[in-house]
Amino acid sequence: MKEELLTLASKLVEKALGEGFSEAAVKITSSRRTMVKIANSEPSVVQYWNTLNVGLYLVKDKKMLIVELEPSNIEELDKSIRELIGIADKIMESPFYAPLPKPDKKPEPIPGLVDDNIIKVLDNPVELAEAVIETAHRERIDFTAGAIDLAYTEKALATSKNVELYEDSTRIQAYLRAFAGEDGSGQWALGSRKLDRKKLEEMASIAARYAVDSRGRVDIEPGVYDIILSPMVFGNLLDLVGRMSSAFSMFMGMSMFVKNKPGDKVASEKLTLIDDARNPELPGSTSFDDEGIPTYSKPIIENGVLRTILHNSKTAAKVGAKTTGNAGWITPMPWNLIVKPGTHSLEELIGEVKKGILVTNNWYTRLQNYVEGLFSTITRDALFLIENGKITKPINKLRIADSLSRLLNNIEALGRETYDIQWWEVRIPTRLPYVLIRQIHTSKHTI
Amino acid sequence: MISMVDTFSHIFKVFLDLVYEDLVLYAVEYAGKLGAKYAEARYHRNSSTDIVSRNGAIIGAGYSIVEGIAVRVIVNGSLGFASTNKLTREGVKEVVEKAVTQARAHSKLMKKPIEFADARLGRAKYSVVEVKKFDSISLDEKIRMYQELWAKVSKATSEAKVQVLFTSHSEMLEQKIIANSDGAYVESRIPRLRITYNMLVFHPQKGTIQRVHIYGASGGLEWLEKWNLGEELVKEAQTYERILLTAKEPPKDEVDVVVGSEVVGLIVHESCGHPSEADRILGREAAQAGMSFIKPGMIGERIGNEHATVIDDPTIPGSYGYYLYDDEGVPARPRYLYREGIIYEHLHNRWTAKIYGTESNAAARAMNYRSEPIIRMSTTYFKPGDYSFEELIEDVKKGVYIKSYMEWNIDDVRWSQRYVGLEAYLIENGEIKGFVRNPVLEVTTRAFYSKIDAVGKELRFYAATCGKGEPAQGVPVWLGGPDLRLKGIKLGVIPT
Repeated sequence: MKEELLTLASKLVEKALGEGFSEAAVKITSSRRTMVKIANSEPSVVQYWNTLNVGLYLVKDKKMLIVELEPSNIEELDKSIRELIGIADKIMESPFYAPLPKPDKKPEPIPGLVDDNIIKVLDNPVELAEAVIETAHRERIDFTAGAIDLAYTEKALATSKNVELYEDSTRIQAYLRAFAGEDGSGQWALGSRKLDRKKLEEMASIAARYAVDSRGRVDIEPGVYDIILSPMVFGNLLDLVGRMSSAFSMFMGMSMFVKNKPGDKVASEKLTLIDDARNPELPGSTSFDDEGIPTYSKPIIENGVLRTILHNSKTAAKVGAKTTGNAGWITPMPWNLIVKPGTHSLEELIGEVKKGILVTNNWYTRLQNYVEGLFSTITRDALFLIENGKITKPINKLRIADSLSRLLNNIEALGRETYDIQWWEVRIPTRLPYVLIRQIHTSKHTI
Repeated sequence: MISMVDTFSHIFKVFLDLVYEDLVLYAVEYAGKLGAKYAEARYHRNSSTDIVSRNGAIIGAGYSIVEGIAVRVIVNGSLGFASTNKLTREGVKEVVEKAVTQARAHSKLMKKPIEFADARLGRAKYSVVEVKKFDSISLDEKIRMYQELWAKVSKATSEAKVQVLFTSHSEMLEQKIIANSDGAYVESRIPRLRITYNMLVFHPQKGTIQRVHIYGASGGLEWLEKWNLGEELVKEAQTYERILLTAKEPPKDEVDVVVGSEVVGLIVHESCGHPSEADRILGREAAQAGMSFIKPGMIGERIGNEHATVIDDPTIPGSYGYYLYDDEGVPARPRYLYREGIIYEHLHNRWTAKIYGTESNAAARAMNYRSEPIIRMSTTYFKPGDYSFEELIEDVKKGVYIKSYMEWNIDDVRWSQRYVGLEAYLIENGEIKGFVRNPVLEVTTRAFYSKIDAVGKELRFYAATCGKGEPAQGVPVWLGGPDLRLKGIKLGVIPT
């Protein structure tokens, strides 16, 4: 549908200019998506979506309008633009206004964003569901649950600054949770542009193994521990950190970096966190942002130092910076996060811990205060006590309750093997290893 | 006078078109022809007009429409769902075929066929009427309202500074036509108003306090007067300044805790509403929001003392999650989830009702046309008692009153939970004695419902967006309750 989508996007830009808007950007997304949801080791529902979404960014006299439509027919769009001009007259100039950028160069397409194998199974993912259920049951688990989510998406962008761009891509997001015995459970996830059956099976195996290994849990007292976070948990917390690196989050008082500027030390020198926009394997990759600016890879944090605040042209103009190719018309966001791996195997990380905890999964992370970075999150699934460099027993749930700043600064070592994670609690696709963090507070119910 | 909704009503037809009714009925009929044992179609349109401001300046205005048709079928005991925004016969035909084909293909993996319990299904049309329509106040006036709000709030403090006041004002309309092969036909129209804000109060030596909060209800602009943001947010800013300047650590010994109604509302939502969702109990959400400490067969077991009664009621007029028929066409009614300390009734759809051998109590809701109906709460509240606030605190020797919160979480079986107070006070010898900072209430579900020794009489409600499902669905709900008192609680602190 490349030509149709591009023609429609350009036509709508022209229409907007013709009706009296001074600037316009139109982003059209067409997608086909299938998801098998699994519960009790069988499909609970198979879902399919076929949608066309039209996003309009319209400016008149520095007044900004954002419109999201799912038009039931295309003629409606013409009419709606005509009516929108009346609304633009009524609102105020936005303090966030900056002109849409005219990109210096065309983005270089990223090869390999479409995997035909995903398109092939979109219509019938039953085999994949069967495979992950079967793989998990190779371990002595009782039942499994999860989801396999496949999509083919086409995106067309046109702006009044002569931008006309198109990109299509596929992606798979999958996760599986396995349950064994009275109290054993484990969960793992995968996010990729490509279908790799081995990786899907690996995901199912890790979840199942953690379920079996975490049976027979005991209580331990909460306190200050060295903790090893799996990529699932570290990914959840870095999802927050990534969002906080957006300039918009800083303007809104929703960021721990409000008090920082690039060059400040914000983490242990062991941590390098990159917005890897053009990684062809991770599902957030794109060659251009919503303003048509070519994307590129950039460190957010490099060796513990804050390097980049993510900008679109508006937030950049507000602070005299340059766009980083992360638009969002209003909110800049990371595309993919990558953590530079370390040198340790998981066993070696465990070997570094005298008394501590291995946390394999978590959920429900909430903050008392975004600026101070005060948070807690509750662990779920396999959780293990580490004593004198060895896992000694599975333990019952605890909370990690501390500050994001201490968490980042107390990073001691990183694993060398990375995992591609995306699921409910890790929305931004993230490639990262296990991590060892010293002296983190944990808590638990008192009664 | 012009409002955005008014303008758009010309474009996108506020009144449901007969075309959509035809498409919905066609989808149900066609799915039947293709062999579906059960078929359901839902035309679903959500529109929203938004005005977003920061420190009185309007960042931008937004308008969104999410509109399409969802189809759900049971074929050979397997459940299929498909949706499209191509509102033509061809578009609907494609998704019906997809839902049926994929359900059929996956049926070979089914160990136990999916079936729905019989139900009394509605044939009805209903509409929530706005007392003050969204267009009764002009856009200019609404913008002025947020400028004036900032003018007041920015001057509210003296030593601390309100650094950020972000507001988002949303006027929403949800319209549905639901039909299924068992005879349901329900049309509904529900307008809603929501205001979200984030306030950040800063003191150069004492740090920051942050509050993110939502007001929301079904109806129209009449809620603006009730919420009275101008007065409330000034009070809040002043309170946060005093907390920054004067709050002390909470007591370390066991104390009595008066839990404010806002926190009570959240607690009942998290530790009664969610674990009472029968689909969770049966494992359907096991990989997402988790399961429940309540297992099949636990109806009738004790979870708390005689004070602990929690009700979920979709039919409360004005409530943010208001509805009269659920998305399977079942008429709504109040559900007593915990009754005088006993696990009494779960939230059911027609699938869980079949497994439990009962009737659906109309808990199936979908966020939009892209979403399957799943079991959701509506307004979940703790039943009020007969204490005034003064009576709740008068015989407390040493205690803490937690009025509001920011951070909270609960484990995935809804047992161990944590709430961190934002506005919280020390109580000594029956009197409020200044602020305490960040007291942590971290308890199990059984402990909370068993430690209640007095319940206030004033019932208040709070808005929230509740998340569940895959893809995640956020639906509007109210949470509520009176203030109540817990005996003998050890509070925690957050690490500094």
